[in-house]
Amino acid sequence: MEWERPMAVEDEAVKLRRRDPETLVALVGRYQHRLYRYLLRLVHDSAAAEDLFQQTWLRVVQNIRRYDPRRSFEAWLFSVAHNLAMDHLRRRQPESLDEPAASREEVAAADPDALERLLARERAGLLEAAVAELPAVYREALTLRFEEDMKLEEMAEVIHAPLSTVKSRLRRALEGLRCKLETELGGGK
Amino acid sequence: MREHESVRELLALAVAGALSVEEQRRLEDHASACEQCSRELESWRAVAVALRRMPTPAAPPEMVERTRARVFGELAAAAQRRWDDAVLAFLSLFAWVVGLTAWAIVRVLGSGLTALFDVQFTQTLTWMSASSVLAWLTAGVVVVLVGHRRRVAWRSL
Repeated sequence: MEWERPMAVEDEAVKLRRRDPETLVALVGRYQHRLYRYLLRLVHDSAAAEDLFQQTWLRVVQNIRRYDPRRSFEAWLFSVAHNLAMDHLRRRQPESLDEPAASREEVAAADPDALERLLARERAGLLEAAVAELPAVYREALTLRFEEDMKLEEMAEVIHAPLSTVKSRLRRALEGLRCKLETELGGGK
Repeated sequence: MREHESVRELLALAVAGALSVEEQRRLEDHASACEQCSRELESWRAVAVALRRMPTPAAPPEMVERTRARVFGELAAAAQRRWDDAVLAFLSLFAWVVGLTAWAIVRVLGSGLTALFDVQFTQTLTWMSASSVLAWLTAGVVVVLVGHRRRVAWRSL
């Protein structure tokens, strides 16, 4: 299944196959925020996300000859990151791919103003917190679709799963998210 | 009523842009006549909009610099490995050429030019066996060394 893709990125990937350092600098710069965000959403740990970020680019350089320039470079890049992140999550905690993995900070503030500020920040971060409480595979589905704006076919390539799996994960992720939001909003006053 | 329940299950996927053309048409037809589904679709849209507006954590510049430096190091190491492999291949070839040339020179110096073409079978067999054993041993050592170096490089990543 094919999808539209910007040619410039694939051209750069072809140059990267020739191990051109300038191209590498350009690609790392182009994807720095998106790749970091994706990894951070998955692993919830900035140190781990940084390590995975570096490992992803090292793996890209080492395996660039396996990349098919006719396909989307973006999907290939994120699939490399996906593999590394999933390995990391399995090593860290075997059940973390299926279970919600998040621990919210305990609120212990006696100062009313401080408490207000804390609550305001909590409301602002409600959505992020609710997303963070979802299982990793659902967080991944949401960030790829809504933040990375990937097409379903690209998502399928990144997570190495059929389209039906992508759709079911998206649906469950959204339903789980909404359920958490309603619980928070309903009982969090 | 069955259509209502069936369409409700499509609402979440609708805001994810994951419906087929047929499913999308069914949903639009139903939602235009069903206030409950229409309202629910709006709330799903609000969730989708909020997801798209979630703050993006910026990649720390130091991390990006460290990554570039590490990747440049890998590129340099890969180039060095290719150079080392080329040198090893050249040295192996050079050893063969020198060995064969030395054999010819020794025979010419020892017994004259005609001895070069007066090859005795037993001597040749002995020489070739020794050369082969030496060459295979050399190649084996080279392969083990190169393999070991690559494994060490891979583990250090």
